[in-house]
Amino acid sequence: MGCASSIPDKSSGRSGGLNNLDNGGAPDAKNLRVKLVLLGDSGVGKSCIVLRFVRGQFDPTSKVTVGASFLSQTIALQDSTTVKFEIWDTAGQERYAALAPLYYRGAAVAVIVYDITSPESFTKAQYWVKELQKHGSPDIVMALVGNKADLQDSREVPAQDGIDYAEKNGMFFIETSAKTADNINQLFESVSVQLSCSRKLLSDFPVHPCLIHDCGLLKLLKY
Amino acid sequence: MSSSSSSISSDDEPNSNPKPVDDELSLASVTLNESNGNGSVNVNENENNRQDGGEIAWGRKNSEVEVEALSSPSSSGYAGERGSSSETTNSRIEDDEIQQVNNDDGFVDGVDHSRASSWVPGKRHVDEDDASISWRKRKKHFFILSHSGKPIYSRYGDEHKLAGFSATLQAIISFVENGGDHVKLVRAGNHQVIFLVKGPIYLVCISCTEEPYESLKGQLELIYGQMILILTKSVNRCFEKNPKFDMTPLLGGTDAVFSSLIHSFSWYPILTNVFVQVEKLDNFSVTGTHVTKTQSCGRNFQGSAKVDYCSSHQTVQASGPIGWNPATFLHAYTCLPLAYATRQAAGAILQDVADSGVLFALLMCKNKVISLVGAQKASLHPDDMLLLSNFVMSSESFRQVELILIDSTTSECFSPICLPRYNPMAFLYAYVHYFDDDTYLMLLTTSSDAFYHLKDCRIRIETVLLKSNVLSEVQRSLLEGGMRVEDLPLDPLPRSSISHRMSQQRLLTDSPERFRESSVGIGGPAGLWNFIYRSIYLDQYVSSEISSPINSHQQQKRLYRAYQKLYSSMHEKGIGPHRTQFRRDENYVLLCWVTPDFELYAAFDPLADKALAIKTCNRVCQWVKDVENEIFLQGASPFSW
Repeated sequence: MGCASSIPDKSSGRSGGLNNLDNGGAPDAKNLRVKLVLLGDSGVGKSCIVLRFVRGQFDPTSKVTVGASFLSQTIALQDSTTVKFEIWDTAGQERYAALAPLYYRGAAVAVIVYDITSPESFTKAQYWVKELQKHGSPDIVMALVGNKADLQDSREVPAQDGIDYAEKNGMFFIETSAKTADNINQLFESVSVQLSCSRKLLSDFPVHPCLIHDCGLLKLLKY
Repeated sequence: MSSSSSSISSDDEPNSNPKPVDDELSLASVTLNESNGNGSVNVNENENNRQDGGEIAWGRKNSEVEVEALSSPSSSGYAGERGSSSETTNSRIEDDEIQQVNNDDGFVDGVDHSRASSWVPGKRHVDEDDASISWRKRKKHFFILSHSGKPIYSRYGDEHKLAGFSATLQAIISFVENGGDHVKLVRAGNHQVIFLVKGPIYLVCISCTEEPYESLKGQLELIYGQMILILTKSVNRCFEKNPKFDMTPLLGGTDAVFSSLIHSFSWYPILTNVFVQVEKLDNFSVTGTHVTKTQSCGRNFQGSAKVDYCSSHQTVQASGPIGWNPATFLHAYTCLPLAYATRQAAGAILQDVADSGVLFALLMCKNKVISLVGAQKASLHPDDMLLLSNFVMSSESFRQVELILIDSTTSECFSPICLPRYNPMAFLYAYVHYFDDDTYLMLLTTSSDAFYHLKDCRIRIETVLLKSNVLSEVQRSLLEGGMRVEDLPLDPLPRSSISHRMSQQRLLTDSPERFRESSVGIGGPAGLWNFIYRSIYLDQYVSSEISSPINSHQQQKRLYRAYQKLYSSMHEKGIGPHRTQFRRDENYVLLCWVTPDFELYAAFDPLADKALAIKTCNRVCQWVKDVENEIFLQGASPFSW
């Protein structure tokens, strides 16, 4: 788009970016720290999902996110694992698209959100999936989220489309409503379970922590 | 221009009394005539007609046409010298575009005069376009458009519906440019049309507010700067690649930023009963933490918008409204009054983080500076500070502190921003954190991956601020307000502290002091109503709190415009230092005093005695000197490098 003169250099890889976490958290299987990024078109409800998750609130007045907001929330799983989510809630505006690598680089989880009443936002979501497949870390856990599920009457993206696309791309799919809180916690819990499974798998192997960084290793271990 | 302020328009809203037809603007009827006089080309359509050598016919009904374009020094031909109207000889008056306006034309559109306390951020009247009568009656329009005539921003109405109108503006600009000239100003009756060309970006203001050309041009410059702050100047490259590039999506979601900036160009009152609220001080518990009762005004956006969220007795407005922002024309910033030691404590910790690789560290309360520090050799222009604080304050996503006090849920923001005066080509990265509803920290860096470092810096800063009670002092100062004309010392006794004044001076009952208690509306000694003092060396100004004689919305806005005009008249080119101006009209006496060190603007009761007023101005200067350690950020000014 040409207006971002300081776009982070993609070749700098994992060493830069807003990432002081290990890839997805410390190798302590009981207490995970997870960097999570929300991506998606403007107005699909990314901030609302985060606010619902972190504070249990819903604010119907739309507040345009600027740059990205950073929030954190810790949840406990049934197996007494705790997961601390460090959430980057990015702005959906076009002018920030070039800066997205800054926020998703090194993220363990990407939650890609669209609005079930807006086919354009679904297209945009697919753009983000492709972008992450190209430039995100290879072992990133991706979730596709159809938000505003309470607006069934004006639905324009069939749930099946989301399911199909997610399946094709090896993603986790869920429809949520930040307004009614439907499936919001489930979204983050499912993500945690998915992460902790891969962690558990990891901890079964005597892998040196720095090797975790190795691209593809996690993926390798998953199989 | 008339100096009678009875004609100063006090409002940007539609006239409450519809004006006669000939006041209506009819830009849409501009036609371009070819120089040979054959036929005319209507450029209302979205086509880019460019023709060499022609005249602009400024079509208006029932009024003579006056085209007054200020030519650039190197120019030859087109509009001629200032004041020339010979170019209008070939003008054709168009009647057809002007619509009759009646009293009952139904543009009441919910704008009532109580809006002063219910200003809502973001764009209003999106349903309007240039065919709407209500749109045409707006007193002050701002437009940003591209050099191909594509609309980018409009203060009122939907940009997309204004494509034809934008094309017209573009046609005027390019028409004059084709003649090797630049159009700066077109006067049409009450209306001024001001043009500003910034590469591929054109900015236009259409106003009937009688503000001076220089002021309006300065406002366009600030709007352009605000756009650069969001996008950087490298947006120009998009136009190099594609002249028809549509820039509106790039500015998505920034309406509130522009509208709040434009709002600050006018005197924007918040609540008039400032003193009443100050009296609530006793009930107000300022605690040692950054959590005070003010937080119950959680969403008190920009001081007054959404006031309905606050219970009124807790509203903190004593330090003056956000709209009282002379920074827009003074090119200076203002500080929150604080004890010298308190500001020093804040400055020390900011300096500490600046030494660790932060380019600029600013601690602000609303639009007032608590302290700021720049890395070595880095200087921050007051205009950049204005634009940055406007951007942060008008973007609600920065201020999600809300009422949640659980540690893990405070939000922080990290956003690319550009400081147009510092480097218009590159983004910096801003870490923004609100400590409470009004007080926020901005840490700017050149490094895109410095977030966690800045987060650590913020934690360090917060610890120090809490330990040294800076945040509670800030809340206290906010409640107490700044300098009040009623408190101007009558005797030359030096007063070392404003807070001293708060506690002691009320007991020293000067006669005006006593009156203030009993009858509201007396102002300061010798009829002093208000003043602004600008320190040239420090790039800072201080203005007195709104005093009761200028309580109403209309009066405040009128005074603001009068200051603006005064400033403009004192800064016309070719005027040496040491100037004074004394002006009396039916509204007030205005006294201005410009020296190489400072500028003083003062407003008095219209019946004020001249000699006494001058004497009072001297006393104001002395007073400012006496308390300068508290009202100004001293020493570590990054501007002096």
